[in-house]
Amino acid sequence: MLNRRDLLKSFGLGVVGVSPALFPRWIPKLAFGSSATPARVQADGGRDVLVNIFLRGGMDGLNTVVPFGEGALYYDKRPTLAIPEPSTRPLTAIDLDGYFGLHPALRPLKEVWDADALTIIHAAGSIDPTRSHFDAMEYMERGTPGSKTTPSGWINRHLQTAAWQNDSPFRALGMGAMLQSSLRGAVSTLALKSIAAFHLGGREDQLEAIQAAIAGVYAIQAPQDLLQREAAQVYAAMGMLNGINPDSYTPENGAAYPDTEFGNGLKQIAMVIKADLGLEVACVDLGGWDTHESQGGAEGWHAELLTELGQGLGAFYADLQAWMADVTVVTMSEFGRRLEENASAGTDHGHGNVMFVMGGGARSQLYADWIGLSPDVLDDGDLAVTVDYRDVLSEIMLARLGNDKITQVFPDYAPNIRGIILPRA
Amino acid sequence: MTLSRRTFLKMTGATALTGLVAAVPWVGAHPAQAAPNRDALHVLSRATWGATPPDIALIEQLGIEAWLDGQLDWQAIPDPRMDAYLFFHPILMAAPPDIIKAVEEDYGRAYHSLVWTRLYRAAHSNRQLYERAVEFWTDHFNIPSPDILAGKILDDRTVPRTHALGRFSDLLRASATSPAMLYYLDNATSVVAHPNENYARELMELHTLGADGGYSEKDVKEVARILTGWTLDWEGEWPAFVFNGDIHDWGEKIVLGRIFPAGRGIEEGHDLLEFLAAHPSTARFISFKLIRFFVADQPPDSLVDSTADLFARTSGHIPSLIKHIFMSAEFYEQVGTKFRRPTDLLVAMLRALRPGLSFTNSQWLLYELEPLGHVPYRWFPPNGYPHHSMAWINTGALLTRWNLAFTLARTDEGWYDGLRFDRNLMCPDATTVGEWIDQASDAILHAPLAESERGWLVDLIGEGAGERVPLTEELRLYRSSTLYGLLMSSPYFQWM
Repeated sequence: MLNRRDLLKSFGLGVVGVSPALFPRWIPKLAFGSSATPARVQADGGRDVLVNIFLRGGMDGLNTVVPFGEGALYYDKRPTLAIPEPSTRPLTAIDLDGYFGLHPALRPLKEVWDADALTIIHAAGSIDPTRSHFDAMEYMERGTPGSKTTPSGWINRHLQTAAWQNDSPFRALGMGAMLQSSLRGAVSTLALKSIAAFHLGGREDQLEAIQAAIAGVYAIQAPQDLLQREAAQVYAAMGMLNGINPDSYTPENGAAYPDTEFGNGLKQIAMVIKADLGLEVACVDLGGWDTHESQGGAEGWHAELLTELGQGLGAFYADLQAWMADVTVVTMSEFGRRLEENASAGTDHGHGNVMFVMGGGARSQLYADWIGLSPDVLDDGDLAVTVDYRDVLSEIMLARLGNDKITQVFPDYAPNIRGIILPRA
Repeated sequence: MTLSRRTFLKMTGATALTGLVAAVPWVGAHPAQAAPNRDALHVLSRATWGATPPDIALIEQLGIEAWLDGQLDWQAIPDPRMDAYLFFHPILMAAPPDIIKAVEEDYGRAYHSLVWTRLYRAAHSNRQLYERAVEFWTDHFNIPSPDILAGKILDDRTVPRTHALGRFSDLLRASATSPAMLYYLDNATSVVAHPNENYARELMELHTLGADGGYSEKDVKEVARILTGWTLDWEGEWPAFVFNGDIHDWGEKIVLGRIFPAGRGIEEGHDLLEFLAAHPSTARFISFKLIRFFVADQPPDSLVDSTADLFARTSGHIPSLIKHIFMSAEFYEQVGTKFRRPTDLLVAMLRALRPGLSFTNSQWLLYELEPLGHVPYRWFPPNGYPHHSMAWINTGALLTRWNLAFTLARTDEGWYDGLRFDRNLMCPDATTVGEWIDQASDAILHAPLAESERGWLVDLIGEGAGERVPLTEELRLYRSSTLYGLLMSSPYFQWM
């Protein structure tokens, strides 16, 4: 008759488990850094952590960064939705440069702007004319407008072509249950919904045996296919996250993340940055921007999403203040929305849009090759794209990520480098 | 609960040194590949939510074609268990005003009825292929439930569940006039002065022609004009579909070169739907999607061609298309190539453990789908939950899938809302470790394991004492969840 202890012993020793060689090069810190001793985000210097925020659904850039200087060309087209010109009254645009203003829900971003760490690029986007969400997102994330057959995402190709390679399972992180298309490709990436939940379940008394057994059946010591490669990543990531207790995490500088999937995603990215796990790029999404109906103006649906976006970015900036010189955040959305509002008090799919860049590469500047909103310069009724989003990303790659393999990341594309993004100090 | 990193490393270091039983990587083909009933098992893996012993017996008795014919004649299949179940969820059969009333009285209960029933039907209905088809069309005409619950409950019944195995044009018309769809994609508020293009675009891109179906931005605008006036009657007892000529655009329109003359009302919308349903791009797009769902992530061109051809010849008769796909040579070249989506995985586990597992109404099981991103009716964009395997394969998801297997396999140890697992009813005839492993492999993977893998499991479960070790109560107690959990978290169970 076996007793329980024998049972455990035989389990613990009964199977070959994970080779420690799987994680020799990344020894995680067992605590979060704090601003008193901020680790350089990349100890070997030379590059930022990139955080890519995708605003899914087609954000209305014209009501996010408002071209109030266009006067009637903007206001006449949006009788119920327009954001009033900056004034001392509440619920009016927040003036940036006398021509453009932030939506009033983006007050937290004004603070980042005042701290000289926010760049706004207007009339940016993908040159492909599609007004389909799904095509536009795929084109944008694959980095090849017009081609859906590109097998990998632009961020994955950046990681593939970077001069350095890093075997941390946290090299590329996608927050959420499903991986963003920009991260797909040959470099293994980690989709993570919750750090707290990232451990193996099963009977506690047989956990080691189960862990070893799964490692065995998935051949994680010598992964041969996709699933085995993912399994090996699970083990490496579990090993590293064991030192981290997300419950003990307190954001710094009074940062208050929204208690939403987006806010929690940003918070967990901040944790991974502070724990120095080898993070290079992280993706997080904020969806719901498809405001065909009852979009609202200074208040309402669109304003609520902007509140979440602004609070999230503001908290991330405050929490990571001591790291921010080594972090670049960039937002994008598949397209903007039509200038003229529709009969449902909403806006249909448009074209040009706003991108925000926050952090090390940013300074308070609003960049636009602005040609205005007069009917003759609109693109089929929509704000024309005058800055290709790949130009902005190429600048970030060159100036902040230390990767000049632009033609491999954005095939058949020669970016226009305008000097919008500050180079690293 | 978690091992500390130190323990983890120590453990792995120690085992590497001693290595009493070397782990055998399960890197080979799925054991069913080598089984004599390989083709039948392959059909069941794609046409059901997980094969059970009665399914296997039936398809072997009837042969594949007769089994398919039987499944496609879904209304003739008795489903007493579902009939009994639905008696307790009257909202699903209620008239629209009563659905609204029930939702207003108890939203949570109504929501649970809708979502839980999806899982229950998948796990228990005898109309398995019909339920797979319903799943396909639910994704195709996706409407998320949370904001439009009453409308979604009605749409579920009158669109996918009514027409899943009918004619595509009927399905399309049902969807286009479904209040939930008119509301979700904003056509209800589209008026002649400012047409709302949302539905018009998705109608062509997602529901019929496909993004590469040859239409232009101009066509989107024209379709939106044709469908102005297709709206909801907010004055009535419930927001029924109604055509309102006052907000309709009565001018001439041209869609894909076809002229829709001026002066016509609702009938030009119906003409448009017939035109789109019969368009060659639609035949191709629907065929492509069906094949991606049932056969392969990269649909073979030859099968897309032959299915699209049949679509044209049968005016989009869905059962004919499905039968053609399942009887094609291309289908049988794709054994084990589709990755189970999270709901497929959960239901397959429930069906595999069915001899010991009973469940009635488990909120807890629905929670398990949340971190995997596949709660029924919770995909918010109109394109629906993806069918492509790659969308579901990632590092975080794999760990969650393993945890689901082990958690479910150990529900015998505790009390779970609406769920009970009796380990003594699983593989009840096994008297030795060897028999237990064989019966468990058979129940879960439907085929014997390779010798090396079996030998390794014997050593793991029987502590190296050989396969003839008697299967005691204590072994069952300690090893059930490990054995079943391991089989269900193995690579073989992830693919179908």
